[in-house]
Amino acid sequence: MSLQNFVDSLDGLLNEAKQSLDSVASAEHLEELRVKFVGAKNGAIKTVQKLMGAIESEHRPAAGKRFNEVRDAIQSALESASERLGGGSQKVSNEQLVDPTLPGIRPVLGQLHPITQTIEHLKDIMGRLGFSITEGPEIEDTWHNFMALNIPEDHPARDPLDNFYLATASKQMHNPTDRDAMLLRSQTSTVQIRVMETQPLPLRIISLGRVYRPDAPDATHFPMFHQMEGLWVDKNVTMAQLKSVLRLFATSYLGSDVKVRFRPSFFPFTEPSVEVDYWWNNNWIEFGGAGMVDPNVFQALGIDSEKWSGFAFGLGVERLCMRRFGIVDIRDLYRSDVRFLRQFAS
Amino acid sequence: MLVSWEWLSDYVDIDVSHEDMATRWALTGLNHESTIIVDGVPVIDLEITSNRGDCLGHIGIAREASVLLQKELRIPAPQLKTSDEPTSKALAIENQFEEACPRYTGRVIRGVKVGPSPAWLQRRLMAIGVKPINNVVDATNYVMFECGQPLHAFDFANIRGGRIIVRPAKDKETFVAIDHRTYQLDSQMVVIADAERAVALGGVMGGVESEVSDRTVDVLLEAAEFMPLSIRRTARKLKLHSPSSYRYERRIDHANIDWASRRCCELILQTAGGQLLAGSVDTGERPTDPAPIVLRESKIASVLGIDVPWERSLEILVHLGCKVSGEPSEADARMIPPSYRMDLTREIDLIEEIARIHGYEQIPEDADVPLVSSAKRPKDIVMDTVRRVVCAAGFDETMTPSLIGKSQMSAISPWTAEEPMTTLIPLLEGANQLRRSLIPSLIAARLYNQSQTNRDSQLFETANVYLPRTSGLPGQQFNLGVIGLADIRRVAGTFEEILHRVCGPEFIQAKLTKTLVSWNYLAPLSGIAWQIGGETIAWIGQLNRGVVDSMKLDCAAAVGEMNLDMLLEHARLVPQLQPIVPFPTIERDLNLILGEATQWQSISSTIQKAAGPLCIHVLFREIYRDTKKDGDGKKRVLLSMHLRSPTETLTSEQADKVMQNALAACKSEFQATILQ
Repeated sequence: MSLQNFVDSLDGLLNEAKQSLDSVASAEHLEELRVKFVGAKNGAIKTVQKLMGAIESEHRPAAGKRFNEVRDAIQSALESASERLGGGSQKVSNEQLVDPTLPGIRPVLGQLHPITQTIEHLKDIMGRLGFSITEGPEIEDTWHNFMALNIPEDHPARDPLDNFYLATASKQMHNPTDRDAMLLRSQTSTVQIRVMETQPLPLRIISLGRVYRPDAPDATHFPMFHQMEGLWVDKNVTMAQLKSVLRLFATSYLGSDVKVRFRPSFFPFTEPSVEVDYWWNNNWIEFGGAGMVDPNVFQALGIDSEKWSGFAFGLGVERLCMRRFGIVDIRDLYRSDVRFLRQFAS
Repeated sequence: MLVSWEWLSDYVDIDVSHEDMATRWALTGLNHESTIIVDGVPVIDLEITSNRGDCLGHIGIAREASVLLQKELRIPAPQLKTSDEPTSKALAIENQFEEACPRYTGRVIRGVKVGPSPAWLQRRLMAIGVKPINNVVDATNYVMFECGQPLHAFDFANIRGGRIIVRPAKDKETFVAIDHRTYQLDSQMVVIADAERAVALGGVMGGVESEVSDRTVDVLLEAAEFMPLSIRRTARKLKLHSPSSYRYERRIDHANIDWASRRCCELILQTAGGQLLAGSVDTGERPTDPAPIVLRESKIASVLGIDVPWERSLEILVHLGCKVSGEPSEADARMIPPSYRMDLTREIDLIEEIARIHGYEQIPEDADVPLVSSAKRPKDIVMDTVRRVVCAAGFDETMTPSLIGKSQMSAISPWTAEEPMTTLIPLLEGANQLRRSLIPSLIAARLYNQSQTNRDSQLFETANVYLPRTSGLPGQQFNLGVIGLADIRRVAGTFEEILHRVCGPEFIQAKLTKTLVSWNYLAPLSGIAWQIGGETIAWIGQLNRGVVDSMKLDCAAAVGEMNLDMLLEHARLVPQLQPIVPFPTIERDLNLILGEATQWQSISSTIQKAAGPLCIHVLFREIYRDTKKDGDGKKRVLLSMHLRSPTETLTSEQADKVMQNALAACKSEFQATILQ
């Protein structure tokens, strides 16, 4: 039997059923029609179904599909006729029962890494405080990573053992004082320099990204981590504004009012320099470093430090992330274990 | 820096508890690490930042306390009796390496009696973890931990010729230090030599042959200045760090060298007896005061955002040891910083001193922060889309180290044929290659999960890959990398969804092409690259069987990468409404039997071309095979076409015509037959 013939007879059956069911006026007549079309023994549907066996195998899926459609259409026509006549037959088919208590089919979704979630959160908060997002290269030259940041050649921070200097085919980099030497940036402060080199003042920016320092991995150290660096340069920017911005930030991030404490510290690219602590959950928590942009940094960039002032701060993203999510070992962040990653679906 | 509470009392009367003092120090720049009690004496560990070499001795710490508590600081004045013999008669010093050692001084004490130090001195040293040796060596250590100036005592009998020569070491010169180990030196290191051989590694450690022992009768006491860079290099290179090298690396107070020398002689004479020769031999010049720094009253408030009374500001600086040059006015003052504060050279440095002593708690945290606009960058908007799509496709985000080790996987490099850049020291064990693709890292991540019996991990990462360039900074390309299960269509579909959403369907239709790629790490006929203007924006493929087997991956893996920088260049950030055509779409199916080698890309484009503009979509449905009917090497491709006119309702005759054209093209192009 050809598919076309089969489909034609199905369509004919459907037409007939619809017409008679649309005009049925009594429950008795409806019952007759029910038996005629969908009766378990000799209903018309059963009869047509038997024809399917004669259809070529490659057409059988199409035939089956159409058959199901027609059967369902007749069934629903019966139901609506019964409803129209009132009361209707409450008979529920006893062949296949829906079990609404089965578990739902949940879509399989991935989720973002906790560091990404933290970074997006930080961007969001700093964005509302008027800071725009910038980025810079992870492979830097010594000018941006050190010199422009007021880190002179004899500074221990430039030691070859404390940085990931690049070896290139043309020359082995052994001399960290070499101006052309390249390294994986050890801080996101490099982006400050790049931004001040190219963008007009005033500016309020944050930069976020990977930084690299040769630390042996343990629960709190990893040689690759993320920093958020903030910079605000304008006329008359003060340390009081630095403290206020950091308090607004902390209050937004930690979700309750927090106090900020400055402790004096030393960074080559800021003066005065401070460590920033937050009073939260009855503890002083170290948050990062900050300070007023050192006049030497401005000078190296040709910015008049009598006219412009600014502050900068840097925070470790991992520390914020770990505190937020209750992560205790930094190495877990970089192991790719899906049992870890999937816990941060939110 | 370990500080003995009892020792401090020599210099300042502290009337607060050691706990309170530790907090005061911490809040003014000397971070409190811990406090332990040694024999009833609190010993406080303070962290000294690298700019505060002046705090590497008890006097420096006492000075901070005296300023904070407004107490007097007492610095002992050495009282010395000398013999008539001038030092210069007994000792000659020749300095041949002034760049590394600008000043070298020596004093000689004859006739000492070497023995144990008195108990009080031993206790003070032991409290801060220094082992007493003998009265002469202990005196040098004591004075170093008192004022921060390293000193070295030689057994003068072993200084041949009574001559000290400060010179660069000879290359490969060897030297046995007092730790009894032999060090090989180079010409950038300073040695202190006598007429014949090196007797000390300048600023780092003395030599075993000239050390003071029970047999020592005459002592030569060195007090010198060595330059930080030279000492740091030497200490690093030899892995030989000493309290002396630590202090020289942070610069010592050059005006204090003579005081320290005399102070140490005083102690030796007290505890070991002997006769001090008159005067000293000194190769350097007496330091002069640095130029005054002009401090403006107005600048203080403009930096700190608070008003500090001018008198208070000046008082703080004077208490810290600054001198006022001339008379300060209402507006400014000329300040001369003390020699022990090498970190104070500019107005801003003085303002920091005022701030930290006045107290940072005085700075308010509710200052005005004016509003400015800030908006999401295009990159953030695009990244939101990328992440949303990849997560919705079921991939978990991971982050992996940017450097990888050399392995079979590290050869996967679709973006460049150049060798990877490397770092001089590895990030993690063996990982010194800057990755050129995210795929090696993702394979490693899959393998890690496999080892943890986490089956079927599907991961993605967005990160930079590093591409060597001939000049300037190396190329950095921000990539999306994914690793899925066997089915490359899932990865392909995820990429196509991103491209459609970010660039818009019109751009995709007009500009994006798909081309086959065959790389040796991909399974044959599995690699595809999407290109815009001939430049690859993304690629996918299935890892080659050989890679899968040798890496012991437990199932096939579809992988792919997308250049997100390039995606951003072509991003259409805000979709624009296209008018909705008010005429119905007709869907027609086509079931073609054609050769296995015929690829969908050519089928769909042939049909599209033949069907003309009335055909708005050619949709792939499925491929199946019936070799019994169709014979070997044939497949059946079921597809649907969406037909619609922008100007009228299509009739079925019009639709039939389009279908006939499409079919005819397939027949002539691919020798396709149609399944009725």
